[in-house]
Amino acid sequence: MVIASDHLVKKLVGLSIFQTSVFLFYISIAKIFGGSAPILDPAITHYSNPLPHVLILTAIVVGVATTSVGAALIVRIHEAYGTLEETEIHIQDELE
Amino acid sequence: MRPDMRVVRVVARLLIPLILVFAFYVQFHGDYGPGGGFQAGVIFASAIILYALVYDTPTADKILHPRFLRVMMSLGLLLYILVGLACLYQGGAFLEYDVLTRDAVHGQHRGIFWVELGVGTTVAAVMISVVLTFFGYSEHHH
Repeated sequence: MVIASDHLVKKLVGLSIFQTSVFLFYISIAKIFGGSAPILDPAITHYSNPLPHVLILTAIVVGVATTSVGAALIVRIHEAYGTLEETEIHIQDELE
Repeated sequence: MRPDMRVVRVVARLLIPLILVFAFYVQFHGDYGPGGGFQAGVIFASAIILYALVYDTPTADKILHPRFLRVMMSLGLLLYILVGLACLYQGGAFLEYDVLTRDAVHGQHRGIFWVELGVGTTVAAVMISVVLTFFGYSEHHH
């Protein structure tokens, strides 16, 4: 969707979905069946690795920030060109 | 003014208080259950965003003024840092909750509670302000 669609908003949505799939991939690597949260207790022997979880927590926050920056850029592009189709933007650029 | 969206308005009026209560539930049960400041902040913000979408944005902007939101962002971070400094003051490391009270488990509980409250405040303020800024921008320029 990031490459296939010409529409900038759809590109941004596609990028978000792509990003989420990477998050899920990382989380699934860290998950162990029957694994517990990283709380030290003598009764618990199996732990899920908390490091990827923390990594992805940060990535989610950064993802929100980059998405909003992208949305802000799209708003300004729409203001300057009056369109969100990438090919039309390129045509307008070449005509100038 | 937007067209009369009666069904959406009635459903939103029903949902907004429930979303807010759920946000507080996630906030205060985050230390033992799933949840915490990040999730609760986003859920809280989603209730405000729903209000701004369905009802009018100027009212939401007036209640949650951009300057107020900026203060809340900073206060959340300040609360987080203050908890860390309180641990230093009690003779522990930065954010070492064990030393906050005499009992280590109780100290952990209290430390996480205040840190998560700080995180929740900041996240909610940031999310609301991002969305309200977009809404306000489009209303200014069209």
